[in-house]
Amino acid sequence: MNILDNYIKNKKNIFFSENIDIQNHREKLINIFENDSFDKKNNESLKNINLKNFIDFKYKYLIPEETSVINNNQENSYSIVSVNGQCSSFKDDKIEITKILDEDYNDFSKNDTIENIDHFVNLNSLFLNSGFKIVIKKNNHIKIKISNIITDDDLTIFQKNNYICEEGSSLNLIEEYENKNNSTSNILNVIKLEKNSQLNHFLIQDNSHNHNLIITSHSSCKKDSIYNQKVYNFSEGYVRNFHYSELIEANSEANLEGIFFLKDNNTSNNKTFIRHLAEDCKSNQVYKGILNDRSKATYFSNTHVDQVAQKTEGYQLSKGILLSDNASYFSKPELKIYADDVKCSHGSTIGPIDENAIFYLRSRGMSKIAATKILISSFINEELNSIDSEQMSELIQKKLVRYLSKVK
Amino acid sequence: MFLEIKDLSVKIENKNILDKLNLNIDKGEVHAIMGPNGCGKSTLANVLAGKEDYEILNGSINFKDNDLFDLNIEERAQEGMFLAFQYPVEIPGVNITPFLHSAINSKRKRMNEEEIDNLSFAKLLKSKASDLGINIDMLKRSVNTGFSGGEKKRYEILQMSILNPDLAILDETDSGLDIDALKIVTEGVNKLKTKDNSFLIITHYQKLLDYIKPDYVHVMVNGSIVRSGGSEIAAEIEKDGFQKFQQ
Ligand SMILES: Nc1ncnc2c1ncn2[C@@H]1O[C@H](COP(=O)(O)OP(=O)(O)OP(=O)(O)O)[C@@H](O)[C@H]1O
Ligand SMILES: [Mg+2]
Repeated sequence: MNILDNYIKNKKNIFFSENIDIQNHREKLINIFENDSFDKKNNESLKNINLKNFIDFKYKYLIPEETSVINNNQENSYSIVSVNGQCSSFKDDKIEITKILDEDYNDFSKNDTIENIDHFVNLNSLFLNSGFKIVIKKNNHIKIKISNIITDDDLTIFQKNNYICEEGSSLNLIEEYENKNNSTSNILNVIKLEKNSQLNHFLIQDNSHNHNLIITSHSSCKKDSIYNQKVYNFSEGYVRNFHYSELIEANSEANLEGIFFLKDNNTSNNKTFIRHLAEDCKSNQVYKGILNDRSKATYFSNTHVDQVAQKTEGYQLSKGILLSDNASYFSKPELKIYADDVKCSHGSTIGPIDENAIFYLRSRGMSKIAATKILISSFINEELNSIDSEQMSELIQKKLVRYLSKVK
Repeated sequence: MFLEIKDLSVKIENKNILDKLNLNIDKGEVHAIMGPNGCGKSTLANVLAGKEDYEILNGSINFKDNDLFDLNIEERAQEGMFLAFQYPVEIPGVNITPFLHSAINSKRKRMNEEEIDNLSFAKLLKSKASDLGINIDMLKRSVNTGFSGGEKKRYEILQMSILNPDLAILDETDSGLDIDALKIVTEGVNKLKTKDNSFLIITHYQKLLDYIKPDYVHVMVNGSIVRSGGSEIAAEIEKDGFQKFQQ
């Protein structure tokens, strides 16, 4: 079905379709798709992907019957089950959860410059049918765990969430995506860190092979704030991780890290993009991939340093292990620097597992398979050791063991 | 015969390295191989350990009544072969202690022996390390990662003394060791020596052979053994070099 028909037919359960401004914006988006005027060669959101599959889709959304559950068992600790992208409202003196409003709509779309146009974000804007907004109030220190549940097969979830960490607050956020049904989630997280706040954001992705997950985030950091994002992709289905950060005030920091574990015919597309717009800011972009069988991955990393962003430190690293001759990993780092007093670097190493190391370990009596597994684990050792929650660490270890059990 | 190498010819990337090499080592014997740079000593050591990059053109190797070529790398190790590498590789992220623990247990498993538990292994490792003057802190590190040249060699010998092999091949273990370390390491080797195990020692220097007395010294030139004898050969080489063996 074409985009326009899809939109018109389903308008009734698409958010904000009565709002004239939003309506106008959406018409423009529809035009882009209808005119097929994409720059297929240079647009990173089109690499390694058949956009047609995502445009000619069958829209289906069900408003969840069961409302989501918000638990506040321990002090400062909340667990949320979001159903079909929705979450019920909640309020206490530390946090507030509400539906997203018309005014939240433009947050990211407006930011997106034409040359970086992201077709999946546009689809998200067009078909938006779910999402919520969470505010962490001033000076509170909170833990939230969100499990994302999808109730039915063939659902297309277009979800937009806003997170706001008010001044002096901190949030430990764990998001779990473990869907087993045949559905597609297109999620956009817009994250705002006010002065002196911190967000540690973990995304655990472990969907079955028939679930597509397209997840995009846009974070912006004000003075002295820190955004840490760690993505663990164990999914057997397609996952797109595109994450943008803007350091808009001095002395702020963004770290975008990811590890993906691919096998069979699976594909994963990844992008991180950090814009330094103020001085004395730091950023890291580190993605590591392990690819088996005929799996494929892309990773684009970008650092842009504005001319006012003196004393920037920005690092990019991309590493990959190819466990099979048929696996492929395309990595492209990009660095654009318009300030003169900066420390920036990027590196990329992708290749098969180190044969000399295998020989060494085997020569001590370790089997080939055990040696291979120990080397894969060592490849991400640093990342695993840096997880400070024991519970998280155990969870990731368990998933790693499951992945390794399929390595031959 | 414990180890019997017959007419072994080996090539790598279209280059013949070993050329009809013969060598017999019996239980309880210490053999030394000396030879100029590039003559094929490490190649021989690697072929014995099972490195797969080489093409075996000719010959046979028998080890403890096995056709060595029937055993893969780990099976050879589990059967009691050990190579102390000339250039041990750094393996960041692989911790020494669990790695050695799993290595010793895979050997014990093959020998139908009971596996050694965490605690006893930690004790064993500590005591062997202190014998070799290895700092306990080093055992918390990743395999060879950031080790100095001498530390790497000591660590190879630590692994050897833990795994207690039947045939230990020491490829230039002495190079990189300071004089005190050489003493400690060779003491460690001598302590391990029994009438049932054998050593093949590759070296450029007579010095090492002052500490570990070889029963036989072989001269290797262009991929074959050109002369065999006792310790006096090492003295000859020290004095005159390899020139006269090279015709
Ligand atoms: N992968 C390879 N490709 C091509 N030539 C190789 C390869 N590996 C080894 N060689 C060559 O084989 C020859 C023998 O090397 P080897 O390392 O066995 O020498 P060696 O006797 O141990 O020397 P040294 O005393 O310097 O340690 C050398 O000429 C070396 O360049
Ligand atoms: Mg050598």
